[in-house]
Amino acid sequence: MQNEILFTVLALIAIVSSIVMISAHRPIDSALSFIVTLISIAALFGLLNASFLFVVQIIIYAGAILSLILFIIMFLNIKDENLPDEKYKNRWLLATSVIVAPFSAILIDLILRSDIATNSVPSESFGGIKDVGLMLFSKWILPFELVSILLLVALVGAVTLSKRSE
Amino acid sequence: MSTILILLPLVLTILYSLVTVPILVWMERRIAALIQDRLGPNRCHINGIRLGGIIQSVADMMKLVFKEEFLPSHIKNKFYYMVAPSIAFMSAFLTFMVIPYADNITIGEETFHMQALPTDLGVLWFLAFAGLGVYGIILGGWASHNKYAILGSMRATAQVIGYEVAMGLSLVSMLITYGTISLNEMVAYQSQTFFILPAWGIVLQPLAAIIFVVTAFAETNRAPFDAAEGESEIVAGYHTEYGAMKFGLFFVAEYIAMAASGALIVTLFLGGYQLPYLTTNDLINNFELVLWLIIAFAVVTSLLFLRWMKKHNIFAMSGLNETKVYTTVIIAFTIFAIIVMSYYALGFAHASEVGVMLLQFAIFTVKLFFLHFVFIWVRWTLPRFRYDQTQKLGWNILLPLSLANIFITAIVVVWVNY
Repeated sequence: MQNEILFTVLALIAIVSSIVMISAHRPIDSALSFIVTLISIAALFGLLNASFLFVVQIIIYAGAILSLILFIIMFLNIKDENLPDEKYKNRWLLATSVIVAPFSAILIDLILRSDIATNSVPSESFGGIKDVGLMLFSKWILPFELVSILLLVALVGAVTLSKRSE
Repeated sequence: MSTILILLPLVLTILYSLVTVPILVWMERRIAALIQDRLGPNRCHINGIRLGGIIQSVADMMKLVFKEEFLPSHIKNKFYYMVAPSIAFMSAFLTFMVIPYADNITIGEETFHMQALPTDLGVLWFLAFAGLGVYGIILGGWASHNKYAILGSMRATAQVIGYEVAMGLSLVSMLITYGTISLNEMVAYQSQTFFILPAWGIVLQPLAAIIFVVTAFAETNRAPFDAAEGESEIVAGYHTEYGAMKFGLFFVAEYIAMAASGALIVTLFLGGYQLPYLTTNDLINNFELVLWLIIAFAVVTSLLFLRWMKKHNIFAMSGLNETKVYTTVIIAFTIFAIIVMSYYALGFAHASEVGVMLLQFAIFTVKLFFLHFVFIWVRWTLPRFRYDQTQKLGWNILLPLSLANIFITAIVVVWVNY
């Protein structure tokens, strides 16, 4: 019961702040409400005993990436008169949500039919750092290494691109 | 009993973070004075009682609380402006929650953790909330609509992001050494001996210790890395536009962040609550001897302190006679403590466990205040780094060093265990 109330509150916060993120006029409002979304999703991971995902979500997404984004927004120093005039924003949002609605219905239906919805949390140690590490470095070692190489390539690419412009 | 033991770490967290702030302010001023060859604040008193000058920093805090709250009229984003100091304060406070103040205590069947938040995340929790503290600084600087504030907060952000990488990497080498992320298990590991020295983090990993201490200074925006508040160039940095208790929250947050990094350094590198060469079980098994040693230590130190005070506390003041009051209080307290200790040692079932726990609190406190002293000592000794020097040190020196340290540690650990 307690968990369900917590889940409802956190999910509502996540949804509302992500709607604010899409519809906000100024970039800094979007970035800040995105932080709220990420932290409430981290709390949802915590509710599922996935403590490692909880803390990694806060360290990497809410802590590192979003502070870089905020830093860039501050660095650009966007003034209010530089922002685009979004006269028909509400209509656009309404129209796109009508278009997206059937696809979301299919998605929800798929999730409800799959075994994710029916399975409960396996055990206390399910999302702890040790279990996640063992799983990553034994069963999923190849995808893990591939993703690391992809990140390395992206990093090298970013450095070369920024060097070329000099 | 069990309720007390569950609430105790929470109370201790508040003590170590909030209540130590006036003491830290006092330490900062008195040590600065000591280093600059003057006396520092020592005359503020309540009816003749000065407590060595602590009354002055309490008065300072009261001043901040009772100052008029004002809102500069040019502030457009009032919400961000108001919420920024509390984000800084909250995240600094939350980092403190995972520090173990004493070993897990078993009374009867139940085991109690002496951490405010007994989670197995340990160090990761600290990193997570130390990272969130940046938002207070970013928002405060941005919402102030002031060039100096924005410059200060951009410097602080770039510095914190840069040094977080080196800090995390130096922590990784400690994690490889200890083989765990739980802070309490790390402290337990450090009760072993390494050849003849205690196996403290600073002995096993001197390089990681140096990197971590330097990055901790930079993370808390303390001197010599306080270009973000460089008052000779950018007024006061990100809190230029803040006054009264809103400034007070930033101010307190800085000290709490310093206390939290100090506590983490104690836990990771200085053996936490352990005495060198003695594990918790050794202390519990030989509790009677330990108790006698504590009583002897208490008597000797209070006698020495009384002699020192009689010679040096000669400043004439109105009100009560300070020296007399302190002498009475110290003698009464020592006698009371001895009576309580011997009473419980004789007739209380879990005397040894509880006694060792209290002893470990005391050891932790002494180590923590030693680190506070180091933080303040460095601040008043080293000149401020120029901003580009700070960045260069972080990215060009500390980052490669900590990476190299990880490789060396991993090779040694694999070689030893092979």
